[in-house]
This record gives sequence, C-alpha cells and structure tokens, in this order.
Amino acid sequence: MPALTDITNKIRESAKKLLASGQAEVVIGYRQGTIPMTTSPFFARTADECDLLVWSNFARINLANYLPGRAGKVAMVAKGCDARSAIGQVTENQILKDNLYIIGVPCTGMIDTNLVVAKEARPIREVVETADDSITVKGQGFSTDIKKDEVLRRNCKTCVNRTPKLANELVGQEVNGAAADDFADIKALLAKTPAERMGYFKDLIKDCLRCYACRNACPLCYCPVCFVDETRPQWLGKSTDPMDTMTFHLLRGLHCAGRCTSCGACETACPVNIKVREFNRVMELTVQNNWNYEPGLSWDQKPPLTMFQTDDAADFIK
Amino acid sequence: MSEYIVKENALVDFFKSLASGRRLLTPQGLGDKCKLEETPPDKVNLDFSNTHMSPKSLLFPQTEALMAFHNDASKPQAFVYQSLGDKGEPLAVFGIRPCDAKGLSIANKVFQNDRFTDNYWKGKIDQAVLVGLACDNPSPQCFCAAMGGSPFGEAGLDVLAFRQGKDLGLKPLTPKGEELVKASGAQTANLADAIKGLEAEAVKSQGVPPDYKGIDNADLMALFNDPHWLATAENCLNCGVCTFFCPTCHCFDIQDETSEKGGVRMRNWDTCMSWLFTVHGTGHNPRPSKTERVRQRFMHKLKYIPLKQDGVRGCTGCGRCVAMCPVNIDIRSVALKMTQTAASQA
Amino acid sequence: MNNPYLPYPVRIAEIRVETEDKNLRTFKFEFLNPEDEEKFAYLPGQFAELSVPGQGEIPIGIASSPSEKGFVLFTVNRVGQVSSYMHNMKAGDVMGIRGPLGHPYPLDKLKGRNIVIIAGGFAVTTLRSTITYLLQPKVRPDFGKITFIYGARSPGLLLYKDEWMAWEKRDDIDVFVTIDREVPNWGYKVGFVPAVTKEVCPPPENTSALICGPPVMIKFTQPVLEEAGYQHENIIMSLENRMKCGLGICGRCNVGPEYVCKDGPVFTLAQLNRLPKEY
Repeated sequence: MPALTDITNKIRESAKKLLASGQAEVVIGYRQGTIPMTTSPFFARTADECDLLVWSNFARINLANYLPGRAGKVAMVAKGCDARSAIGQVTENQILKDNLYIIGVPCTGMIDTNLVVAKEARPIREVVETADDSITVKGQGFSTDIKKDEVLRRNCKTCVNRTPKLANELVGQEVNGAAADDFADIKALLAKTPAERMGYFKDLIKDCLRCYACRNACPLCYCPVCFVDETRPQWLGKSTDPMDTMTFHLLRGLHCAGRCTSCGACETACPVNIKVREFNRVMELTVQNNWNYEPGLSWDQKPPLTMFQTDDAADFIK
Repeated sequence: MSEYIVKENALVDFFKSLASGRRLLTPQGLGDKCKLEETPPDKVNLDFSNTHMSPKSLLFPQTEALMAFHNDASKPQAFVYQSLGDKGEPLAVFGIRPCDAKGLSIANKVFQNDRFTDNYWKGKIDQAVLVGLACDNPSPQCFCAAMGGSPFGEAGLDVLAFRQGKDLGLKPLTPKGEELVKASGAQTANLADAIKGLEAEAVKSQGVPPDYKGIDNADLMALFNDPHWLATAENCLNCGVCTFFCPTCHCFDIQDETSEKGGVRMRNWDTCMSWLFTVHGTGHNPRPSKTERVRQRFMHKLKYIPLKQDGVRGCTGCGRCVAMCPVNIDIRSVALKMTQTAASQA
Repeated sequence: MNNPYLPYPVRIAEIRVETEDKNLRTFKFEFLNPEDEEKFAYLPGQFAELSVPGQGEIPIGIASSPSEKGFVLFTVNRVGQVSSYMHNMKAGDVMGIRGPLGHPYPLDKLKGRNIVIIAGGFAVTTLRSTITYLLQPKVRPDFGKITFIYGARSPGLLLYKDEWMAWEKRDDIDVFVTIDREVPNWGYKVGFVPAVTKEVCPPPENTSALICGPPVMIKFTQPVLEEAGYQHENIIMSLENRMKCGLGICGRCNVGPEYVCKDGPVFTLAQLNRLPKEY
C-alpha cells in the first residue's frame, strides 16, 4: 500500500477513535482540495467527516494555527514542524497540554507547487500521488512524472525533525530527518556588508502586497491585535511604502525569534512567493548560536527571548 | 459594427498603431511574474494564461495619493488639501481576459455609481482603451461560464480580440474601440460565425457549468442566516488574499500621512477580511468574527452586487481566489451551499 | 472634474463645550471660500466628513439647519484619533469639510403629518437640525403636531440647552426632556427615553417618528412605538457605521446591499427589517 494511503487510513481510524471516546471533540486535519495540488484544513466532528480526512504531499498549512484560544479537547494532525508549533503554543500558554492530542505524521516533506509548475508549465488538471517518491501530474495530452525530492519545499529539504516524536501517537513509520541544517545560505548572507544585506532583503520583499497572509498562516502570530493593526498609536503606514513593508517583515521576524519551527506555512500562503522565512531563519540561527535552543522539542522549555535567567550571557539585562 | 482581421504578418503594425500616442500595456512574464507591462509593438505575447493579479490596479492602484497640503502658515492655502490630479494617461491595454474586463465593468459601476463619480478612477478609465483577448483554451481554474460570463465575454471591453488561426480577429464593441480598430488599418471581415464556433468550443472546455440561479431568486435574509457560514468560515485565515486578487474587490482605506512640511491623503486597498475594516470608534464591531467577514465577502459577490447591478454577479470566475487561497476556500463550493440554502427555502 | 474626495476648506469660528464631561464640543465652521457654502447645500439628516489635514476624516451628522446661513455646526464626541485631535484645536484653525453626504430625513414626504422626534444622548445632533428647520415660520405650517422627546444620563450631558429651553416655551412644539435619575432642582422629566415615550408619544395616526440614539435606547423604544400602533414604515432611524469615503465606494459601511453612507444613513424600520443587523 502506498505510504500516503496507509497514513490516510490510520489518521481516519485514530480520528474516529478519539471522537468516539471523547478524547477529542474535533479533529483538525486536511481534506482533499478542490483543485490539483491543494488540501484544505478540515474540522472533523463525526465519523463520516473523519472519512474525508486525507494525507497528501500538499498538506502544507500548519494546523497549529487553529489552536490558540480554542476551548475543549482537540486533536490535530501534525507533521514534525507542526507538532513543534503546537508544543510551542503549550509552552506559551495558548492551549492546555491536557486539551491537546497530536496525531503525529512522520513526514517525508511537502511539495512546492511553484517548483512543480517550473518543471511542467502546461495547465495541470490532475495529480496522482500513489508513488512514495514521485508524483504524476496530468493535463490535456500529457502525463509527467516528477521526483518528489526535486520539488520539495526549501524548509522540507533541510528539515531535521521530520518525525513528531512528542506526539501522542505516530501514524506511520518513523522517518529520518535530513542531515543537520547547516544554515550555509544564512551564514553567507550574514557575511555580507550591512548595505548588501539590506539590498538583499529589499529585493526579497519588493513584490509584497501587505496582505499579511504570512502572518495569518503563522501559528506564532496569535496576537489579538498585531502591531500593524494598532491604530492608537498607529505604528505603521498602510501604503505599499517600502520602509513600512520592511518594518513589518523585520518586526515579525523578531517576534518569531526562537519560536519558528520552519513549517513553511508563511511561504505557502504568500500569494507572490516571497521567501518570507529568510527573516525567520536569520533569527533561528541567532537563537541557536546564543542559547543553543530549538523550539518545540520539549513540553516545558520556554523560548529564550520570553524569559529571564540570572545567568544570561548578555550584561545589559542583569 | 462589423468584425475585422489582422493577418499574422501585420500584427506588429497593428500593435504599433495601438501604441501610437499611447502607452501600450500587455501581459509579459510567466506564471506569478505575468503582469501588464509597457510593451514594444514587436514584443507582444499572445501565449499567456492570465496575469497573476487582476488588472484593476491600472485604474485603482494599491496605493494612490489623492491630495496634499502644506503647513507653512506664511504661504497661501496652508492646511488646505489640494488635489494631486486624476493622473490619467492615454493607455492601450491589450490582452485583458474577458473575466477581468467584466470585473472592471462591475467595479466601474461602484466607482461611478448612482450618486457619485470617483474622479481618480474616471480620469484613468476614460483615457484607456481596453482590448481583450478571448480565451480559446481556458485554464483549469477558470469558471467564467458558471458565473454568467464567457471566455469570449464582451463586458467592459472596447474591442474583443480573438485568435483566428495565426491571425487576430477583432470585434469592436464601443465607438472608442471602433475608432481604434479603423485607425489600425485592420481589414473588415465577417467573423460572427467564427466567433460563435470558437466560443462554443471554449465554453465546452469548462464542462457543464453549475447552476447557481437559486441564489439570485433566494431571500437575502435566508441566505444570510443559514447556519452553514460557521463551517464555511472555519478554516479561513482571514488573510484577505482573495480580496487583493479579486478583479471586482474595490474596497479601500483612506489614510493621512504627514511629513515635516505637510502631508498627503492616500487611499490603499483594504480588505473586508480584516476586523479593522468595520470596527467603530467605540470598539463595537458589526462584523466581529471571521464568520461574519467571510459571509460578507460571499454575500457581497453573489447576492448584494447582483441586487444592485441588474443580476450581474460580483464574481467573474477568473479563479484567482480559488488558486491563491492558502486554505482552498473555493467560491464555487460556497455558491453551491448557498444554492442549497435557496432550494431548502423555496 | 468635480472631486468628491476634496474637502472644502473651513475655519473654526467658534468652539463650544457642550457637556460637563467636556467630551462633546460643537464646532462652528465658516467656509474660507464663500462660494463653497452654496455648493454645500444640505438638508437635515445629512452628514459630512470632517477633515483634519494630516489626521484623517470622521463622518459627523450636520447639527445646523440649512436655514442658518453663514456657518455650519457639528457636535463632535471625543472617541478616536481625529475627534481627539479636533478637541485640541482652537478657533481660527483651518480644516476641511466634505459633503453633504447621505440622504436627509424625508421631510418633504412627511408634509401634513405629525412628527415625533426621539433622541438619546449626543445622537440628537441631526435632530437639532431637523427641529430648527421645521420651526422656521415658512415651514412650520406644512406640518402637524411636533413632539420632541430628548433624554440623557444627567443634566450636564444634555446638548443644546439654550435651544431646547427656548423651544419649550413655544406653543408649536411639545418638548419633553428627561434624565435617567432624579437630581436636585431638576424641573423636567425623570426616567429613560422609552418610558417617557410611552407616556407622551402622540397617537400613531398620521404620525411619523424620527429616532436617533444609542442602540440600547432604540432597542427599548421600538417596542413602545409598536405597541402604540406605529407602522414600521413610519419609524425612521439614522444608522452609523464605520465609514471612509462617504460615497458608497470604499465598501466598509454596508448593511447588506445598502451602503449606510450613500443609501442611508436614514432608513425606515420597515427597510431595516429586511436587512442584516450589521451595524
């Protein structure tokens, strides 16, 4: 049986059990999208609805996004990165650990549809996901096989924690993560002059529409009022002024420092394909270097920038 | 008005004529980089799917400075806003798809409504001549026919162009379009039947369109109060990508920005998906949660606009929101739910 | 081309503090260009965008009556950024007004009818305009009995004191002013607006009601009028929603298919019954 089908079956089975036993009032998973290469976050509350849950190469949105502030018992289907986000939300007091059940999916990576389109530019009307290491895309008069590892999302290529080891259960065989992320690209970027770095980031966000899809898809961005939406005082202009746009991305990057699990939901959501994660990756490396910390790998360790310790390395804070 | 034809070897001359005395904009670039750009007459590309974003920003830029003031009390007119002008310029836009042109025609009735005329919009549209290119091979994401349009639709266009083998057929639709086509030296040709054939072929490729007529006849409050909205909105991120990409979404915010010497008043695209959009100064919000906001968007497209615009739906089936929505909220599925609501009320 | 976004420049001629909590001030504006006053031809019930350069705009009902020449009046509650800024401005400062916007109360259609005007709190502004308009010697004979019911929490929160006291002395309008709780030396009514309405409102025959007030007042006054026999077509209200353009374009103030700014703000209760309660 193809791995995806097997996982789909196990998700459905688990979801039904959880609902029947009352361990969960709702199971948040994915259902098949209405167009090729999409899935849609789905809230299953009945056994019939559980049969709509699927696993796919396109389960890219991070479902932990739906957890903060949720009352009642909830189960979520989670990749390694998504489970880490959910665990992070527990450490940040956004959801009670006892109310959360993680159906962990050992993940072999999600596909970047832009890379698929780069390989097959003709209009795709169907995608077949029965093979474990490739997909087949079909359209008028063509059928093209594409190797999965050639079209993985950037974050999936460097993912170290593919198996959500802290999940309440695993549906599927553990998979090994990629070799450690060496942050070679970010180190190269940081070696540049400040002007070059600013130039890089300016170019990176030049198409930004300020739609905030990155923020809204992000499981870390749960603030009741985001700083960009504050009106009294209004911190940021609302136009497409490049300085305002840059301020948004820089501040979001800082707010996510030491909390981002590289789930890539921001880049999946971005309608103009900005590599939003570049900002987060710089902070990820900074936090790793300074505090040797990676988020979401323990139930009780808080992000370093949200707490104070007397043995902090920096003098100014003591 | 008759039809016209431009032979393959005369295409560059035709585009030269379009560009004469105006800027010529056509779709350039691939995929998410495809947008309307100023194009030399010999670089027009007929092989594109559609622009990544709708063409509305031509007439309604995402950010537009409307007026400015200075604060030097020693000079006249201190603190008095002066218009920065309508900023229209002669434009020929070639390659607008019929869904998008229809979108502009719907927005046009908002910007030039029964009581007020938005001079910034009018200043631009009056100087633009819009030449559409019919879709002989609609994309998988397209559903214009389901929304009452056609791959060969004419609404909002001055001229409908269509591919006739390697030649380009032209059907002028307005006096402005007729003038443009005549000036281009295109030859008259009777292509009415050819258009009908091509259109039928293109419509067929979209399959049998779903029937949403029930929505048109349904009671507004029945559609509004249906319990499905809770589930319909449950996975929405409230990001507003759908509104930014929609060819008919026209909502904006007005903001003042100040500098040392004065300030400007500008308008920026806004989105009904944001809670800020409707919140009162008192903190009261008539659309407090995403359920109300999602309902607003679909009711606006499928019920409110038809009520105000003689039954024309506010969705043209361009498919951008379906393709761009991060969580795959599909307006066709929503329209189907609304149709079911209507049927259960009938 | 006419630019509906461009405010007419005005000078603040006078600022009057209306209430003891100082949260309401009435601004008297004079047009910098006299010809703009002609262009700003309005009727009671319409509103305008008050424009503070560099701060923004706020939609405010016009408190003056078209019969008052040479100036326009707006009473502004201190709520948000623009209104707070305005409360720190002074006579002589230049700002702008843009309008008139919206539809007026349908007074032309109410000719020959009795009118009961019910106001709560600072929502009385456009009704002050209405009464001033109706009491003009050449207009007053066109209408039947006029009744004015006006309530606020306390005496210090009632607007336009000099004016309603003057109206009270006239015999061509019945004035009932009320406060929520008894205070010493208060010579008028005590009790909430719905209760006073129940007590004094005229019979529904050939009568229309104009109501403006906070949601809670409207919620409890509406059943009183219904009980008294008022048809929903004859209960006329003015809505508020967040607005920007005021022209039915920017999209945020809609109630169903209607824009409060362009199609309202005046609606009959019969119209509102068929619309979502998104206000």
